[in-house]
Amino acid sequence: MADELVNLTIDGVPVGVPKGTLVIEAAKQAGVLVPHYCYHPGLPVAGVCRMCLVDIEKAPKLQIACATQVAEGMVVRTQSPQAKSGRMGVLELLLINHPLDCPICDQSGECELQDFTFQEGRPATRYSPDYAKRFNPVEDFGPDVLYVPNRCILCTRCVRFMEDVAQEPVLNVSERGDRAFIGIHSEGRLDHPWAGNVVDLCPVGSLLSKDFLHKARAWELDKAASICTGCSQGCNVTLDTRENVVVRVRPRPNLDVNRYFICDHGRMNYRWMNRGDRIEAPLVRRDGELHATDWDEALDVVASRLRGAGGAAVALVSPRVSTEALFFARELFRGHEWSGAFQVVMGEEAPLAGVPNLALRAERAPNGRGAELLGYHRDYASALAAAETAAVVLVLDEPDIAVRTAGKLVYVGTVLPERARDAEVVLPIANVAEEEGTFVNRDGRVQRYFQAKPAPGMARPAWWVFAELVATLQGGGHVATAADAFDRLAASIEAFRGLSYPQLGFAGPR
Amino acid sequence: MSVSAHPTPQPGTEEYHPVFVGKTLEQLGEILTRYPTKQAALLPALWLVQEARGWISDRNMAEVAEVLGLTPAYVKGVVTFYTMYHQHPVGKHFVQVCTTSPCNVCGAEAVVKALLDATGAKELGATSPDGKWTVIEVECLGACGFATPVLVDDDFVEGVSAEKVPDLVKRYK
Amino acid sequence: MGYPHKPHPKETVVLSKHFGEADARTHKGWVKRGGYESLAQALTMEPARVIDIVKESGLRGRGGAGFPTGLKWSFMPKEKKKPHYLCVNADESEPGTFKDREIMRWTPHALLEGAAIAAHAIQAEVVYIYIRGEFTEPWAVMEKALAEATAAGVFGVIKLYLHRGAGAYICGEETALMNSIEGKRGNPRIKPPFPAAAGVFGMPTTINNVETLAAVPLVLKKGAAWYKGLSLSSPKSTGTKLFSVCGHVQKPGNYEVTMGFPLKDLLYDLCGGMPPGRTLKACIPGGSSVPILNREETEGCLLDYEGVVEKGSMLGSGGVIVFDDSTDMVYQIMRLARFYAHESCAQCTQCREGTAWTTKILERILSGQGKTADLDLLLDLADNMTGKTICVLSDSCAAPVVSGIKKFKKEFEDYIAGRRKPVSVA
Repeated sequence: MADELVNLTIDGVPVGVPKGTLVIEAAKQAGVLVPHYCYHPGLPVAGVCRMCLVDIEKAPKLQIACATQVAEGMVVRTQSPQAKSGRMGVLELLLINHPLDCPICDQSGECELQDFTFQEGRPATRYSPDYAKRFNPVEDFGPDVLYVPNRCILCTRCVRFMEDVAQEPVLNVSERGDRAFIGIHSEGRLDHPWAGNVVDLCPVGSLLSKDFLHKARAWELDKAASICTGCSQGCNVTLDTRENVVVRVRPRPNLDVNRYFICDHGRMNYRWMNRGDRIEAPLVRRDGELHATDWDEALDVVASRLRGAGGAAVALVSPRVSTEALFFARELFRGHEWSGAFQVVMGEEAPLAGVPNLALRAERAPNGRGAELLGYHRDYASALAAAETAAVVLVLDEPDIAVRTAGKLVYVGTVLPERARDAEVVLPIANVAEEEGTFVNRDGRVQRYFQAKPAPGMARPAWWVFAELVATLQGGGHVATAADAFDRLAASIEAFRGLSYPQLGFAGPR
Repeated sequence: MSVSAHPTPQPGTEEYHPVFVGKTLEQLGEILTRYPTKQAALLPALWLVQEARGWISDRNMAEVAEVLGLTPAYVKGVVTFYTMYHQHPVGKHFVQVCTTSPCNVCGAEAVVKALLDATGAKELGATSPDGKWTVIEVECLGACGFATPVLVDDDFVEGVSAEKVPDLVKRYK
Repeated sequence: MGYPHKPHPKETVVLSKHFGEADARTHKGWVKRGGYESLAQALTMEPARVIDIVKESGLRGRGGAGFPTGLKWSFMPKEKKKPHYLCVNADESEPGTFKDREIMRWTPHALLEGAAIAAHAIQAEVVYIYIRGEFTEPWAVMEKALAEATAAGVFGVIKLYLHRGAGAYICGEETALMNSIEGKRGNPRIKPPFPAAAGVFGMPTTINNVETLAAVPLVLKKGAAWYKGLSLSSPKSTGTKLFSVCGHVQKPGNYEVTMGFPLKDLLYDLCGGMPPGRTLKACIPGGSSVPILNREETEGCLLDYEGVVEKGSMLGSGGVIVFDDSTDMVYQIMRLARFYAHESCAQCTQCREGTAWTTKILERILSGQGKTADLDLLLDLADNMTGKTICVLSDSCAAPVVSGIKKFKKEFEDYIAGRRKPVSVA
């Protein structure tokens, strides 16, 4: 059946959208953002905030755009005096009991109530000081979430998320009328593995993350698109940094992977990106000790060790390293007898029931699949055994090197584990927040991540380190950018053929 | 009759005695046959709890949730919506007086005052010192032509005036 | 016990014929009075035929909306693919209205019979009768009557169940009623979908008021033409209506008159007029959610759907609230606003916050701290609260405020200007 488009006009702009599209979504195509609170594309429609009232020709009353489906020839006006007056009315009523907390509220700067009030609210209050504002004390809902009832606008996004998406209705609306608030049973806690999403969903500063509480102001944050490294699901995230420190992880919408959500494990999984105990300079062994040096010398030392070495090479790699790096790390040993392995920390799976194929995965690393596609295997124990007699052992950011190697140990990593102090050469690399790269999630989806902050000291992206060595040892030209690195990878490995950075963009392969 | 919006959980070391056992459980079983979903038996189930215990505690709500396959928070959201469910213990006799406009212009507020005096409850929503009475104002009871209607427990008394209050109160032990 | 006053000669006693007859409440007693014949006949008829008769009669919903009943029934799917349901709205909570409870406690079988006929017409096997929790006596009477009639086997395959509400005016709104039956908070639903498409449990559903259904057996028995003929004025409003008169009249109670009956006669004649020495000041003709009429409008008003609209109000539930000249209109309007503020379900911003703020402003005016700007503020708020929400509770709060300020402005101004002694508001 042909998907016929329905044609309508929104604020004078003609759009054609599939039958069944909501006016509020059709408006996006016209470049119009209809102000709203309770509506969210990831949640069932509620239609309660009444903010998205629009003027539809021939309709006797204003209609809510979030619950009205498009019709052929519909004429929608979001800026008519009636619609604007309707929204101004909603804003005024939301603000009468809303405290003037902006100076101390975490949401300030990314608050939808602020935004729309500035845009089209009343300039002054008609409520204060004649009438007292409603007051309720702050509540602790559980592991990470605080509820500030005074700021709540009862949009019920949080309730609908827990009920419909997490499918564990642990939040309710309690009481009635203007006494209503978001409630939780006295024996309940908001400890669902995906509960942290209610903080993102809350349009105002009513549901807050304790982890982020008073940590930074929204306008101080720089944002970078990234991929969560917590497990193999590959949820798209945004890393928020303040003065080059990652302070928050938030979901980035991707309808094919994580929709609008991330789990709490991933959400809290960023402190390691800010570790201070990083390897900051290349180190080479001289007179029995590791000495800091520059890249040229360090790379020379590695190249000379590899040039002379016959025999087997074993690579022990972390599944948290980029696909590009894993590719070049393997290329390095072309012509050698080579085996590469990785191990993944496992945990309990925690699905988000209301979204198909979305869960905190048992495999707690982002690039196990990528490593597999590039020829690395999972039998870490046998690799460790082989490492004992190998000529060259390359360890790539993996701290578990529980053997004494006979041959040369080259450690390439972000931090220097105790065991690696026996290495011949130690090369510092960037972590996921400090470089560009890709991961391949458990479904074989290649996704890009972007740089959020600079790498410390002289640390470089791992792909660059190995690409330089490959260029030195095998010729073929230097690789200037991560995009070029990926292109080389795509040209060489069947599974990646046809892909490229511009094509992958922010959302992955189509 | 404002109840604290955030009741502190009772430190419960006492054993909990379930409501839905024996006859009550049978009653619930019959009720469940009337609806295609278990959830629809929620309001009837809550009435059964209130009839048995006089009020509905958080623990009761958790029991109802378990029996009907719902969450305690969900049940609580429903309990707090409907004003006839008591979320805390009330006096032996629970008195509801309508004071909405039709009754208001027929002396309802005087009836309230008289009741507060005659029962010793003194304040709306408070329980009298002897534990026998709680008096609250409610909205329209649907007996406007018989002002002022007063609901004492399940007794719907019509045509109450301030003068008739002392006799009314005496009727109940 | 209640108010079984003797019918006034000007009443047209149809539904209230057996009010006060204890025997009428039993199955045997009802059969003696000709009951359950219509149902037996209806069960042999095609559902579509039953719908046609009711359509022809012009019967309109008596809960407040006045929607043509036969037409509403015809919205149900003709081809039955899913379970169909009938919900009976016995949540009567509109201030000023007390007719449904009389029907239930005096003629429960009329309701049961009408509900069963309706169920047959819309091909529903299950009927839920939603009775508000405070109606303890009607509940007891209905329970007994239902048991007797069921035992007598009059309902065929149709199952009727009583469902008890728990104190929420908003559950009288048809979609909120369905949510309440489903075991949820009584929140009204956004429409579409409409109940006939997806109602209770997501299935095709019709919701009817008690008084509407109580008329159905007679419509079937005596015919659509007979029912149509019971009208003094407009052909669009047919049959009789129970008007619940309360407030400042000598003989408050339920009076059954034909559509088109003059409100003036109802008040001054049937109800015995104002209390001694008092004059009529205002009247709300259709339950508190409709605009207030002043004396002139009241005395010129004809009681049918169109007639009341002509005077600037609505017939609504037919709950006639009478205020004499001793009434403090500002106080009563405040009390009505407070009613709506208490009953708001809390979904829509305008209703949740607006009803409370309206109440606060009125309380402030009454306490002597009102400002001149307050009246414009109230009207502006009322405008914000009208036509913008999921259900009309918000509009219902605005109605007395707007009509009150328009027609009794001086009373408000007296408080604001300090010409009237402030009153304490509880």
